[in-house]
Amino acid sequence: MQLPESQVAVLETASATEAQAIARLADETGLAPESVTGAAFELADRGLVAVEEATEESVSLTDEGATYIDEGLPEVRLYEAALDAGADAAAVEMGRVIGQSGLEGAAVDIALSNYARKGYGSIESGEITADPNADPDSDPEAAALSALADGETVDDADTLDQLERRDLVERSESTVRSVTLTDDGVTALMEGVETAETVGQITPELLTSGEWEDVEFAEYNVEADAAGLTGGKEHILRQTANRVKDTLVGMGFSEMEGPHADAEFWINDCLFMPQDHPARTHWDQFALENPAEIDELPADLVERVRDAHRDGVGEDGEGYHSPWTEEVAKGIDLRGHTTSLSMRYLSGHAQGDLEPPERFFSVEKVYRNDTLDPTHLLEFFQIEGWVMAEDLSVRDLMGTFTEFYEQFGITGLEFKPHYNPYTEPSFELFGTHPTTGELVEVGNSGMFREEVLRPLGVDCDVMAWGLSLERLLMLMYGFEDIRDVHGTLADLELLRTTEVIH
Amino acid sequence: MPVVDVDPEELRDLTGHDEKGNEELKEDLFGLGLEFEGRTEDGEFQLEFAPDRLDRLSVEGVARSLRYHYGDDRGVYVPNTNDADWTIEVDEGVPDERPYVTGAVVRGVDLDEDALRARRARCDDRGGCRGVLRPDARPPRPLDPGEDGEGSDPRDTPVHEGRGKSIRYTGIAPDGDRFVPLDSNSEMTPADVLADHPTGETYADLVGEYERYPAIYDDIGLFSFPPVINGKRTEVTTDSRELFVEMTGTDQWTIDRMLSIVCYALDARGATVEEVAVEYPDRELVRPDLSTSETSVAHERIESIIGVDFDPEEVVDLFERSGLNAETEGAEDGNRLVYDVEVPSYRVDVLHPLDLVDDVGRAYGFNDLDPRYPDVGTVGGRHERSGLEDAVRNQLVGLGFENLLNFHMTSEEENFDRMHVAPDDDALGAADPATIREPYSEDYTMLRTWALPSLLMVLENNTHRPYPQDLAEIGLAAHVNDSGNTAGTSSGKPSSATAHENTGVAERRTVAAVLARHDASYEDAKARLQAVARNFDVDLETPPTEHPTFVDGRTADVVVDGGTVGVVGEVHPAVLVEHDLELPVVGFEFRMDALE
Repeated sequence: MQLPESQVAVLETASATEAQAIARLADETGLAPESVTGAAFELADRGLVAVEEATEESVSLTDEGATYIDEGLPEVRLYEAALDAGADAAAVEMGRVIGQSGLEGAAVDIALSNYARKGYGSIESGEITADPNADPDSDPEAAALSALADGETVDDADTLDQLERRDLVERSESTVRSVTLTDDGVTALMEGVETAETVGQITPELLTSGEWEDVEFAEYNVEADAAGLTGGKEHILRQTANRVKDTLVGMGFSEMEGPHADAEFWINDCLFMPQDHPARTHWDQFALENPAEIDELPADLVERVRDAHRDGVGEDGEGYHSPWTEEVAKGIDLRGHTTSLSMRYLSGHAQGDLEPPERFFSVEKVYRNDTLDPTHLLEFFQIEGWVMAEDLSVRDLMGTFTEFYEQFGITGLEFKPHYNPYTEPSFELFGTHPTTGELVEVGNSGMFREEVLRPLGVDCDVMAWGLSLERLLMLMYGFEDIRDVHGTLADLELLRTTEVIH
Repeated sequence: MPVVDVDPEELRDLTGHDEKGNEELKEDLFGLGLEFEGRTEDGEFQLEFAPDRLDRLSVEGVARSLRYHYGDDRGVYVPNTNDADWTIEVDEGVPDERPYVTGAVVRGVDLDEDALRARRARCDDRGGCRGVLRPDARPPRPLDPGEDGEGSDPRDTPVHEGRGKSIRYTGIAPDGDRFVPLDSNSEMTPADVLADHPTGETYADLVGEYERYPAIYDDIGLFSFPPVINGKRTEVTTDSRELFVEMTGTDQWTIDRMLSIVCYALDARGATVEEVAVEYPDRELVRPDLSTSETSVAHERIESIIGVDFDPEEVVDLFERSGLNAETEGAEDGNRLVYDVEVPSYRVDVLHPLDLVDDVGRAYGFNDLDPRYPDVGTVGGRHERSGLEDAVRNQLVGLGFENLLNFHMTSEEENFDRMHVAPDDDALGAADPATIREPYSEDYTMLRTWALPSLLMVLENNTHRPYPQDLAEIGLAAHVNDSGNTAGTSSGKPSSATAHENTGVAERRTVAAVLARHDASYEDAKARLQAVARNFDVDLETPPTEHPTFVDGRTADVVVDGGTVGVVGEVHPAVLVEHDLELPVVGFEFRMDALE
């Protein structure tokens, strides 16, 4: 019988009477363990060997578990401190015992939660007692930990379960394969096996020499996993942004662009946000210290915006009855929304006067002084879009957004009447979550007020909406913590393995 | 947004709709724009509301809106007022910053515990309420002193006996007089209150800058320190039946409107409102001013905004269901059809006729409208800068880089110190940073001046992940533009990717990449840089240079078409160790506009 070299080696090394582990065969044949495994399976397919699999459990200490080897378990330390304080005789005030035990931070909670469970004593209304009969030296958890640290095995499953619950040990399982010669294998050996002339790697030499015509190609295990490889990939938030951009360009929108650090004038005042509006305080948006002020604002526009704030727009218009100063308007902020870009474009300052109809959008970063949590970041992307035309109605707004959200699988849009200082009517947009079916907020929209548009020199209607790109991403991918994705805490593994959505 | 706590029982009571279940109420409230956020320990609804309708800050206001919503009430209602018996005298000495006062007398008030608590409770988001107006309203004070009051107080005498009564609004030195504030048992000066009283500490910022503090006197003496706290002598209890409501402020219109809202709420509880004469040195006002105002709204504007054809009768009906009165004008004689709309004084949100169109839409039901895609043709397109960004990003992804997206905000420590760069070095990344005023977090104090620090941080946070880690980012970097707030680039080329405006911040897109692998060397970085340059058809040279982040002798300037635009090299072991990295890292960074 002719067999590839590695199979011959395994066959000749294997025993009919003793199951040998792959590792041992690898040692004896001098082959790599994965080659031995491959050869053993090939031989098993031919019925020459039997491969048995067994699961082996190994237990190892976690970092926390290792610390307790030297320090002792927190509850034991607490017990010893309690004994020192005389708690075996009478209840002692707990704070004092904890102080003496030297326990700090999370260790205190750990000690307290295990103390009574193990019968070291009781804790009641801030006082601690110690059971004089308890014996910390026979604590099974401590014993198991030190046994593991010494490389011994521990068979007490209950104690191991308990330690695992406390995150002090980790259990892992591995598969061990062993190989035994079958009767057919013995017969084959008796009849004699030879090494077949096979070729592994196809080399340039093999090709140019013509030698390839005379050789047999070794069979590879084509089912085996190959070594890991990660190619480059566009960041998933960028992918989502680009998908939004494609959709909007397809709907006739042009992309805007402009400064991240901008004068409050463009960020807030043009939007008819009163200067004492709470969203304008540094609790909500980041003001810059350096530079603190813009050089100059367009004087005529400043004049018109100031008039709108003070006296309103139109015959029956009413202003805000609160102070307005150019000094506040000149302050530099990191933009809290990209509506500052819309203002620059609508005013004609970005690329000249616009004539209706126009559609514009941006998917750009904004900055808010929020608390970092799984759904909030200090900087995130805002999708901003607006349509400028004669006589737009709320129905046009609804039609546009219904169309947009359907592209992302969000349907059943509902429009909750809302208030924004810069739009009227205004709507919060709610849509049906593509997987959970819940009604979730997906954006904010409205028709720009005349107090916004007239000072900018716009005489027709403009409807606008905004939405956080991260929110759309979380709806699409089902992420629960946005911090895994965006920012320097990003997990490369997550970025590398996230499914491509297209 | 502000949250107001409302007892659903009270709401059923005040609306007269006992049959409404909680779920149904929540739905109706959602229709008004009041979102249910949860319940308090006492089972009250916590409703989040948009800060325009300040008249809905109380349960009475919410109930009023619901009654209009249900069609139980129609049109404008104005409470009756009795003639003035009391006077507020405004002294020359009032603080310049807070010269205005307004007030009303309210009789026959029935305040149960809940109502009292609700009235004492301040909006938990006090900024939120100040959005449109600054309701510096304090809890009202009773006309009759409570049980702890002095029996000889002349105000014991019922007001209707016709004896003229007066209080005086003035300004005093911070330690100019003493009184016993609410929730205290000792006499304090206004300055003491700001320093030592919990309420005083909370609201100190409202008067912190004042030279003279606002003060209100009656014939016994100082009894209120608005807008911070009232005196104990005039504490409101559940037994209080007659109240004197006073508000001070920075604008007469604003406090008058706030007073209207309070008077409407107390009227809804069955109280009678009585006028008060406010005597300024140069004029006399009679308050509260509950008179309505008129706004005209064009029929065609209503139709064009809502997108529906209406009969005038239907529009008038919708106005009335919004608590407004409307009359048509001009329809018969062929002129434009216009509605004269009468607006009650509590509607502080009406700044423009458009706000009334919104009311019509809400009454009609926006969600009943059929969406339609606007029949407007435009041609879409990407911005040149974002197109270039995408092209460079794709190229780097093709070269095997994981594309990243990091924060633009960072700290001096990450951006400079940990990279061994000082702001005044002559090196990429060294620049005067744009800094954030009063930053809350020491991790985010400035805008990054370059992107390599962000990539090093990602490497630092992913040392447990498999290598190689080849990372790239194309994103914003910025610094203070020291050349007099004018746009400019270090390469001397004009560019769309630099500061567009005179903000004083030079913003640019930067291209940064690192290779972290066991055998990374200068050549790996240079090879990829060359590939990028070749694909964008620019001339690349890399003359040797020094940079504190990189190893001397293995660092070069990135020179594109003759201009220095960045740096390439092997990251210095000191910087690697600083970032807990145990393998070599090479990288480059350059301004994206060099590829234009």
